[in-house]
Amino acid sequence: MIEGRKILGSIGLVILAVFAIVAVLAPHIAPYDPHQMYGRMEHPSSRHLLGTDNIGNDILSELIYGTRVSLFIAFVVSTISMLVGTSLGLIAGYFDKLGFLIMRVVDVFLTIPRLPLIIVIASFIRPSVWNLIAIFLIFGWLMTARIIRSEVLTLRRRYYVDATKMIGGSDLYILWRHILPNVVPLVVVQFIMETIHVILAESGLSFLGLGDPTAMSWGMVLHDAFVCPVIYGSDIWMWWMLPPGLCIVFTVLGLTFVGYALEETLNPKLKSSVIGMEL
Amino acid sequence: MHQINKLAYYLVILFIILSINFSLPRVMPGDPLSYLTDPGADIPPARMTEEKMERLLAYYGLDKPLSEQYINYMVGIIRGDLGWSIYYSAPVLEVISGRLKWTLLLVGTSTAIHVTLGILIGATSAWARGRKKDMGLLISILSISSFPSFFLGILLTILFVIKLDIFPLCGAQTAFATYSSPFEEIFDILHHLILPVATLVISHIGGTYLLMRNSMLGVLGEDYIMTARAKGLSERYILHRHALANALLPIVTMTAMTVGFMVTGTIFVETVFAYPGIGNLLYNAVLYRDYPLLQGLFLFISITIVGANFIADMIYIRLDPRVKHE
Amino acid sequence: MKKTVLMLAMLLCSMVFSASVLAENDGVAATSSGKTVKMAGGTPGGADWRYPSPFMFYPRGPGYCRMSLLFDTLTWKDANGVIPALADGWEVSDDGKEWTFYLDRNARWHDNELFTADDVEFTIEYMQDHEGEFTWFETIGYIDDVEVIDDYTVVIDLSEPMASFLVDLAGNVPMLPEHIWNDVSDPLTFKDDDAVIGTGPLKLVEYDSATSSYQYEANYDYYDGKLLVDEFISMDVSNTAAALQTGTVDEVSFWGSEIDAVQNFENDPDFEIITGPSFWVLQVIFNCEKYPNDILDFRQAIAYGIDRDEIVSQVLGGGGMPANTGIMHPDSIWYNPDCTVYEYNTDMANDTLDSLGFTEKDSDGIRQYPIGAKRSGKVEFDLYTLKKFENEAELIQRNLEIIGIRINVRTSDWGTIDDYLKDGNFDTVISGHGGIANPQIMRVPSWPASTYHNDDYDSTFVAQEVEMDLDTRKELVNQLQEMVADDLPVYTLYHPYMWCVYNPEVLDTWFYTRDGIGIGIPLELNKLVFLARYGDANENGKINMQDVTQIERMILELDDETEMADANQNGRINMQDVTQIELTILGRAPIRIG
Repeated sequence: MIEGRKILGSIGLVILAVFAIVAVLAPHIAPYDPHQMYGRMEHPSSRHLLGTDNIGNDILSELIYGTRVSLFIAFVVSTISMLVGTSLGLIAGYFDKLGFLIMRVVDVFLTIPRLPLIIVIASFIRPSVWNLIAIFLIFGWLMTARIIRSEVLTLRRRYYVDATKMIGGSDLYILWRHILPNVVPLVVVQFIMETIHVILAESGLSFLGLGDPTAMSWGMVLHDAFVCPVIYGSDIWMWWMLPPGLCIVFTVLGLTFVGYALEETLNPKLKSSVIGMEL
Repeated sequence: MHQINKLAYYLVILFIILSINFSLPRVMPGDPLSYLTDPGADIPPARMTEEKMERLLAYYGLDKPLSEQYINYMVGIIRGDLGWSIYYSAPVLEVISGRLKWTLLLVGTSTAIHVTLGILIGATSAWARGRKKDMGLLISILSISSFPSFFLGILLTILFVIKLDIFPLCGAQTAFATYSSPFEEIFDILHHLILPVATLVISHIGGTYLLMRNSMLGVLGEDYIMTARAKGLSERYILHRHALANALLPIVTMTAMTVGFMVTGTIFVETVFAYPGIGNLLYNAVLYRDYPLLQGLFLFISITIVGANFIADMIYIRLDPRVKHE
Repeated sequence: MKKTVLMLAMLLCSMVFSASVLAENDGVAATSSGKTVKMAGGTPGGADWRYPSPFMFYPRGPGYCRMSLLFDTLTWKDANGVIPALADGWEVSDDGKEWTFYLDRNARWHDNELFTADDVEFTIEYMQDHEGEFTWFETIGYIDDVEVIDDYTVVIDLSEPMASFLVDLAGNVPMLPEHIWNDVSDPLTFKDDDAVIGTGPLKLVEYDSATSSYQYEANYDYYDGKLLVDEFISMDVSNTAAALQTGTVDEVSFWGSEIDAVQNFENDPDFEIITGPSFWVLQVIFNCEKYPNDILDFRQAIAYGIDRDEIVSQVLGGGGMPANTGIMHPDSIWYNPDCTVYEYNTDMANDTLDSLGFTEKDSDGIRQYPIGAKRSGKVEFDLYTLKKFENEAELIQRNLEIIGIRINVRTSDWGTIDDYLKDGNFDTVISGHGGIANPQIMRVPSWPASTYHNDDYDSTFVAQEVEMDLDTRKELVNQLQEMVADDLPVYTLYHPYMWCVYNPEVLDTWFYTRDGIGIGIPLELNKLVFLARYGDANENGKINMQDVTQIERMILELDDETEMADANQNGRINMQDVTQIELTILGRAPIRIG
């Protein structure tokens, strides 16, 4: 069992590392500027390894730059969600009255039909990377806050909290020194889950045509390919549709493996719950 | 008493959602008549003068002050009158119900299948915890769950429709076909249903599977299972009589929650297979700023979600008397 | 002259007869029993075109076409122009205000009631009573009075002469059965089965909004030709090309950048392709009220700085052509070929910008506004557009960067952009519209150039509206186009092509209508494709619209397709002559010429 966990985790890490490197080094790796136009609808060749799309952009370069867009959005959203969700979860778990209030807000947000609301907002506001991030943030922090809170509720009852209180430790000190370190494993797992969620949500939204058309994410490439009427009529799908789709699949898979391995290692009693779920 | 509290709580949530839904489209740019001037692939449909625009707005009651529109909207909901869809030029209820049957078919079938499969595979996996079988199942399920449903749907289309030509390209049934028997019609509908359902099942099974596996692992660690084992009962008997029933509890909650979200989550499958349904209807309602239809859809979706949560709560309390409200 | 035409007509009658016999023998025109034609016709988002009643159809081309299969108008159009429909013949008074229509005596409603002049009177009065509630039939307001002379003669009086009357009104307004609509108080919610009873060649069997599909059956008692099909179905598909290839549908259409799909079908012997004009134009709309786009020279510099050929080749893949700077489509009779053309020329653009004082002060390649101007800093402004025109916008952004202007491309949906246009709250917008085979589209301010203020233009527009003489009206429309091309309230980019790809085994009569269906709809869904109306005059084995042209050319001994004789002897050579020739040679109901 331990072995399996380690192997999965390593595979996941390698996948993620590759994508991270591609994202960081995109301008150096990409053979062309993704906005530069060449011959349209070219098949793969030594000049264009994955051919060109319907307006003559090099698909490989689009994907390499797309890695940046997709990962950037996911990373920013899950980082902010993690910070906000964890802080609110800590506060909600530690202070009863405030906690009640925060949890009611969380409950309402969790009951709001998420996808419809995201579609409504995404169609009304101007599509840009930052607006997309803002939309995902509305719902991003909820689960983290809820899970951290219930963990804090149990930690609070532990003896050392009372002990610290007795010797005059402030609330902030207790939260920072005793409770936070104990919820870190949960936070990390939650961070990974949120990243998976945002990657799937962003690609889905882009696939529906609600993404930012000036920043080609993987979902956007899939959208362009899908609305092109020849996509089923020839082999074009092999280099226009398969690669961006597999990029999404492998990123999600890498994250899932790492998340699973982390969860089993850091918090075996919690059991794995890391899984890709669309919007 | 607790149930009544819970109900009141859900009603408040419903009220908040409906109010958000009323105000959100109205503060955003555009109005329900802008579709009339939308530049498309053909002629601009109308030469709208200001005067004409005002008359049309008046016809649809959109010229009234927002407070009055809001009251009308709430009163309409209570009276069960959802209004008239401006874009589809039909009663909102009729527009929604026409697509609802297909969404229910799609969501119902795929939920039944992915929950059943998820439970079975999850239980098997947990029972074999740590062995090769468990690891194999875990890795395979995690892997196929990484496919976004739209990507999966396209791949299935290419393979089974374009290459092998064994399923129809799109739609929910052959348009206006004449059937010689009801069985033929059922077969036709099933024929169209298989690929969309397969897509949904594959992309949703991971959640059920993992939950079942974890829940089962938890139950297997409980005292009474230990006792049963100590008593020398057969593994199969323990699995069926004790473990399975108890491990199913969280599945109930999760299924109720996913059903609510799946009603609109099918939009990707609807797009890929041109399958009629609520998801695309919502998308179009947003695109064309069809306030009455948007409101009707949100009402319907919210009721589904809130209702599913409520039912899950009730079932949970029934099934597991240990549960006390926090 | 009268005699000559009549003799020729008799000659032609026999020709048509023999041709049609020939065609019958080939089995081309013969209707095989149970023939169904399926067409891919949903919206990309899966929305439908609404119930096809005259007051409920989605007020855009596809919606109108689906309604027009069920309802006839007084006149109609084929591949060559106006033809008679419910009216067999007509005449107009010299002042252009009084139109007399002689109605077809064989026309019946789908419920077998006779169609008479009372229905015409009722329709016009009913539409006028309910004018404010539907946007399509606005022209009905031009009618002053309707007078029924006898069951089959009706006189329509206009308040002003209306040049486009035969197309925009007689050829646009569907006739309603009085015995049904008489009791309908709110036509916008009238959705009974009765609401789709018309006189058209097809009858509605079923409409399903959820799957956006329509099922029609043949009206075998149609008064104006023999039905070629028994059933017609329009349905929504996920991918049109694949649907045609797999036989899910028999006909699909493509547009502009979808040229790649068309090319895939070009080498396929199972399918045929016809190309048509879209009567659609994409344009950059300038805000002529807001600095710096309120400066004519500045707009011209931008025009010189945009490489339209590159847009056509790169974004459309050659599926279109650079547009007429004067809006009207080159395939329309209104086209003015002499409008100013702004060939891509960066030197010209740079010189103009320099002379306006927009000069570059640092070395980033972007110009700055002149000192003391309404804006300061770099020459930089927003360009709003729909997501589907984002590629065009990005190319323009690159083009203008070269001449030192920075454009920020902002994409949004139409509801939002429409708001900006209405409020004048924009710098530039890229948007498009169709209907450019009809000069009425150029009305300011409802036409996108809402910020364009030119009294000359407005008065010329009004003058052409009431000008009954075609040549004079053409001259006025030419002037309008030249003003647009010179003043550049909008700069036109391209006209896309349209293609209809179909399986000829199922139906091979598809054609594109002259100047578009009705008021200019560029689609191939003309009800005439379902009808055998003419003999195979050009002997190509198919009975189609080109045969009409061929017949005219033969009887009149003309060489040029556009040349026509004054068949109805009203002193002018125009579209009505074609109608007149057809009426004579096809031996239809009595025609009275004043």
